[in-house]
Amino acid sequence: MLAYSEVTEFSGQVGDFKVKVRKRPRYVDQSRCTACGACAEKCPTKVPNEFNFGLDDRKAIYKDYAQGIPSVYTIDPENCRVLKGQKCGVCAKVCQAKAVDYDQKESFVDLNVAAVIVSTGYELFDATQIPEYGYGKLPNVISSLEMERLLSAGGPTKGHLSRPSTVRGEVRLKDLAKLIKKAEKSEDPTELEALQAEQKRVEHQVHKYHTAKKLGFIQCVGSRDFRFHKYCSSYCCMHSIKEAIIAKEHEPATESFVFYMDLRTVGKGFEEYKVRGAKVSGLQYVRGRIAEIAQDEDLNPVVRYEDTEQRKVTTMTLDMVILANACSASRGIVKVADLLGLDLDDNNFVRTHPNRPLDTNVPGIFTCGCAQGPLDIPESVAQASSAAARAAETVMTGGQALAV
Amino acid sequence: MNLPEIVQHTQAYYCLDCGICTGSCPVSRVTPDFSPRLMVEKTLMEQEENPLEDVNIWSCLSCGQCSSRCPSKIDYPEFVRMVREEAVRQGKGGVPAHRGLFQTIMRLQTLDVKQSKTAWAREVGRVAETGDTYYFVGCAPFFDVEFHDDWGVDAMDGPKGVLKLLNAVGIEPVVHDDERCCGHDLLWNGDRENFAKLAARNVALIKKLGARRVVFQCPEGYLTFKKYYPEVVSDMNLEIVHFYELLQDKLQAGALSFEPFEGVLTYHDPCRLARQAGIIDAPRALLQGLPGIALREMEHNRESALCCGTSAWMNCSSCSKAIQKERLTEALAVGAETLVTACPKCRLHLNCALRDMEIDLKIRDMNELLAQHLKV
Repeated sequence: MLAYSEVTEFSGQVGDFKVKVRKRPRYVDQSRCTACGACAEKCPTKVPNEFNFGLDDRKAIYKDYAQGIPSVYTIDPENCRVLKGQKCGVCAKVCQAKAVDYDQKESFVDLNVAAVIVSTGYELFDATQIPEYGYGKLPNVISSLEMERLLSAGGPTKGHLSRPSTVRGEVRLKDLAKLIKKAEKSEDPTELEALQAEQKRVEHQVHKYHTAKKLGFIQCVGSRDFRFHKYCSSYCCMHSIKEAIIAKEHEPATESFVFYMDLRTVGKGFEEYKVRGAKVSGLQYVRGRIAEIAQDEDLNPVVRYEDTEQRKVTTMTLDMVILANACSASRGIVKVADLLGLDLDDNNFVRTHPNRPLDTNVPGIFTCGCAQGPLDIPESVAQASSAAARAAETVMTGGQALAV
Repeated sequence: MNLPEIVQHTQAYYCLDCGICTGSCPVSRVTPDFSPRLMVEKTLMEQEENPLEDVNIWSCLSCGQCSSRCPSKIDYPEFVRMVREEAVRQGKGGVPAHRGLFQTIMRLQTLDVKQSKTAWAREVGRVAETGDTYYFVGCAPFFDVEFHDDWGVDAMDGPKGVLKLLNAVGIEPVVHDDERCCGHDLLWNGDRENFAKLAARNVALIKKLGARRVVFQCPEGYLTFKKYYPEVVSDMNLEIVHFYELLQDKLQAGALSFEPFEGVLTYHDPCRLARQAGIIDAPRALLQGLPGIALREMEHNRESALCCGTSAWMNCSSCSKAIQKERLTEALAVGAETLVTACPKCRLHLNCALRDMEIDLKIRDMNELLAQHLKV
């Protein structure tokens, strides 16, 4: 397995592809690292943690996430003091396995393979493209994946459903306490007053809304929208219902509203799950796409919408809004497709054969998962098995078994 | 065009019935009976109720907030405009504001009338008889007649400011007494026939004067020339330029600079200029060119800006007033002392609401403000 790597050259044909892979330097010897974590514990450089959408920090030497494989630490060259030419070297000192190697260079691997599977996944639709939803500006409007992290026991809040304004507010309160101490010693009373006023405001927001209890889930954010993606992302209805049900399990006082246009609960047991959401977990399904989101003085998102069943334009103040971001094709796929000679469809998903849904236009190259279109996890797993079987057929027959 | 044809033309059949349009509509906020979604639905369902009889078709502000957010990209204002044309053909119409004065002036201008409305230009700055650049002044001289004495709002502030600024960057534009109303309002009143007559007269005049490009400060005139004139005038061959884009280039090139402005100011985006023509950053860049200015954004800004409450001198109502008051309240909420707008009509409409409100807010024309702070 070559993780943290990318294909740089590609040639040949089915049964005989030649692939050059660039392995990016981790600055850690993969064969020595035991993933004990001592390096990250002592590393003095804090960096916003991308995996948790900046809701907590990681170090400059880090693992992308706990379950990532191979289980090995990596130095982020943009933030590591040593790699930026400054003094440090703490991680190398504490590493008992002597795995840290600041001089590691990129290396190349040449492979000769009979078949290829492209499973490059997807990207979350960037909701800042819908300015009326205020994503990125309003702190308590979050994406579906941010919600996943908030609900996760291994997440930034250890599974407690805190609002992002609370998480950041707590950090700010610590900073403010320091700043106020400093300002008390200085001559300028206006600065102290301003800091104390901010402290009072942030304290109010942090304590009053410690747990997000009134949640709004907005469906079709970027999907089924001619301005962005015409297609249905297929999995969002289910994950919104799932997140709402889990939120209720974490905090029984949670009240959730799912704002939808159509709830597409298509799949084995899905419709039953939706009904269970309403009957057991008390989810309320409201028909109407949200027109815009504003915010009140306590940083509560205020959604404005037409309840199309009641034919009524109204607003609702919520503790937190969770967007069901569309499944967008990954940005890097265009480069990969160019290198491999793959056709993409209008939405930049890998174009597949109508009768052989995992076959691309290039014999011997297969695709699966969200690289070929939006899919949920069980379907992605099923496709992965199927793609592996197609590839195995190709390998074992030297490319003879392609035509069905 | 009959209703099924209008549905085909605007692709209104793509409607997903999602309610974003109605949730976004400034009229629906105030008047629950008004719903863009239901208006399209009624037309699509071919219900017994005749959509052409619906008074709501005349209440739409054509501000375009619905279309800009519509997931099916239905051009809702265009839909309403076409339905209005059909209604007018069948002898129906809306309720004109200001006793129909403006509609009368507009229709008079389709005839061979002799006008005198450029004397101000010779007093304020330098203009040319013929030349490359024509400055389309628009309706401000007529507004002046209606509003000046009543409200003390000088509608000519805007054009005067534009001329001063044009002169400052070395442009001596052509202006002319024979210029007609651009026809925007008649077009949106459903009177396409007279709109086309005005368009033909304007284009013929501008071409006769030897101009190659036309500069606008009025967002409605700009959009009408750019988007709707080519539909009724063949081979226009005129470059349509908005004043702010021209001025922003000159500002960046260092051809002009401004004196400082003290105070908190907010900018109201006119719907034609921002949402419909996409000119959003240029006016802000110009205002930022005033040293010391504190430019604050209202809650609804840029492509989400609230409408000024009424459009095309029609169906002005208590709903219009409520929208205008909401807008001014937004300005106060961000601590603005001055609200500037780039549209002469927005300025009048917001001023109309200001008369009923006891608030400390000045409403100014953007061009007048810029001209006043021009560094000589």
